[in-house]
Amino acid sequence: MQSGPATPRSSQHSRLATLALLLAAIFIAPALRAQDWFHLETSTGAGKLRLAVASFKSTSADPATLPAKAAFDETLYNDLSNAGIFDLVSKDMTPQAAPGGQSEIQLSQWSNPPSNAAMVAFGNLAVNGGRLTVNGFLDDAKNPQYPQIFARQYSDTASENNARQIAHKFADEIIARLGGGITGIAETKIYYVKQTGSSKEIWGMDYDGANQHQITHVGYAISPRISPDNSRIAFSSLGRNSGFQIGMYSLLLNRTVNFANSGSTNQSPAWAPSGQQLAISSSRTGNMEIWVSDAQGTSAHRITQFGHEASPTWNPKTGAQIAWISGRTGLPQLYIMEADGSGVQRLTDGGYASSPSWSPNGQFLAFAWDRKYGPGAPGGQDIYVMEIATKKWIQLTHDGGRCDFPSWSPDGRHLVYSNSPDGRADHNRIMTMLADGTQKRALTGPGTDMPNWSWR
Amino acid sequence: MSVFATLDDQTPDRFGSGFARAIGLHILVGCFLAVLAIYVPGHVEHWGENASTVGAIQASMVSAIPLPSNVTPVEKSVLASENTTPAPKPPPKEATQPPPKPTDILIKEKNPLKTPPKVAPVEQPAPPKHPQPTPPTTKAASGDAATQLPQAINQVKNGTAMATVQDRTFGTRYAYYLKIVSNTVAGDWYTQEADPTESQGKRVTILFDINRDGVPENIRIETRSGSPSLDASALHALQRVDNFGPLPAGDHITVEYTFDYKHP
Repeated sequence: MQSGPATPRSSQHSRLATLALLLAAIFIAPALRAQDWFHLETSTGAGKLRLAVASFKSTSADPATLPAKAAFDETLYNDLSNAGIFDLVSKDMTPQAAPGGQSEIQLSQWSNPPSNAAMVAFGNLAVNGGRLTVNGFLDDAKNPQYPQIFARQYSDTASENNARQIAHKFADEIIARLGGGITGIAETKIYYVKQTGSSKEIWGMDYDGANQHQITHVGYAISPRISPDNSRIAFSSLGRNSGFQIGMYSLLLNRTVNFANSGSTNQSPAWAPSGQQLAISSSRTGNMEIWVSDAQGTSAHRITQFGHEASPTWNPKTGAQIAWISGRTGLPQLYIMEADGSGVQRLTDGGYASSPSWSPNGQFLAFAWDRKYGPGAPGGQDIYVMEIATKKWIQLTHDGGRCDFPSWSPDGRHLVYSNSPDGRADHNRIMTMLADGTQKRALTGPGTDMPNWSWR
Repeated sequence: MSVFATLDDQTPDRFGSGFARAIGLHILVGCFLAVLAIYVPGHVEHWGENASTVGAIQASMVSAIPLPSNVTPVEKSVLASENTTPAPKPPPKEATQPPPKPTDILIKEKNPLKTPPKVAPVEQPAPPKHPQPTPPTTKAASGDAATQLPQAINQVKNGTAMATVQDRTFGTRYAYYLKIVSNTVAGDWYTQEADPTESQGKRVTILFDINRDGVPENIRIETRSGSPSLDASALHALQRVDNFGPLPAGDHITVEYTFDYKHP
């Protein structure tokens, strides 16, 4: 019996050809599948509540009343229009009347054209002996039988800033009552990086851009993250002799406090919603991995193991998941995992993703994404919001220049991000918008970056 | 010699050139079919693409960003437009006579005819009051209404949504709250989920409770519409809502919500 001949070359070639054709068949098949469609049309036309804001009546002759009243009126109007849930009657259609109380308001004047309001916010304001007192009312203009929805009285020392804060409180109350139980953001703060010359420091401001003030004085501090109880700011700071280290600034003590760093590079801190844990990306074992420690930096343990991991963010609703950026497959992509490192899921499928931020209701991730990254590609880094359950995303910014570092507001309706209209780093400014991409406006001038919205 | 053929006897090899040629031919046929499919019928209509026959469930985000929908303003309606309208013209000035110049000579007017002297009216005694029969109270006034009028109505795309609270005094006292409930649910009702041909002209009534914190509970169908997709779309609308805002008063209220589907 003849033994099998050594496999001749022609047979080897034909085997390779078969393999190649099989692989080709496998890879052509997915391309023939129908294109997935994503049609974002939410609804149906229920529309927003039409709210009129009356000019508050000044009920004292004290000369300090008028500037306080001007600041109050303007802040109240801006807060309610920024909320994104009201159809605010514009100022030229608002009746000129300034009713000071229930007995003075004529509801028909407000519910008839041109203002056609469904609700009216009005009241009176007085400064007496250095004390500012405001009475605010919210009425249902379409219900003349029982108009009053609520009434509030506020009192504080008289100053323009206090008048603004009282307006913020009143606006928050209106938003909470009429906006489905979600607290308003008028009293929240935004912390950001401001560059002056070669130094970068952490600054803070009100959510509408007012009251900008410096917080840290360490020389070079970036990526501020305010703790959930508003007591401390974690940041990354570059020391003179060391690489990036995590710094902790206490807003109660007004100075930096201790944080245990180790290893060469520690950066991008992220608070867990409990305020007891911090996730950081650290290279203490050689590669950049995600580590979780307590608020003082002790009891640190590693939860990733592939290297090239950065920018963690916790799920604020459950505190049990972390989203972060990983370069384990090449270009940085967006991933989520359980807080112990298990259950890793990849969410983006290409491009260059960075800076994720988890929405307060736990359902969305906002991140900066350059979907067409690469030489010769159009490029353009924009803010995207992805729904985690379905992995569907929407693009919120376009053609506005390079956008980065999105951060959700605590009501889940607004985003703050940094934007450079011409791409230059020193023209970076902080912008805010509604979470559907409308009402974009700038909050700061150039030279600012990396905003972080407070938790409450 | 064995009856069975051995491997040596088989020429060519099992996965040799013949098999390769077979695969190649299959791929060619597949490409030919793909070319036919793409080019011959012209425009390929993707399933669910034609917007006028909104039938299939179009993909939408499962959860919603908590912002109300943007209604495109009707430009013709001055009040709904976002553009500021020009200020209304001031009222026309009354035509006034110029004041008389000091050099003018006043012309005396003739005395008008004397009016007849007024005569005081004679006091008439009031007519005696007889007891009048009371008019029968209409059902609407007495509250025995056969159909409850809805307390909040919302027009939505392809339908109408109406809300009524079972405790009517709550609905009257806190009409604004019911309006918020109605707006929220109407905004979350995705009418595309209901099959248009099956649901046309049908109505479904959902009953649900709202607890003290504003969370909807105990969602159930009171009257089925006969179209399961319409019933399901109504239930989903309720399930999408997280919170209506805290109840202004009371421990809980029960709301009856009616969805009417009308595809134009």
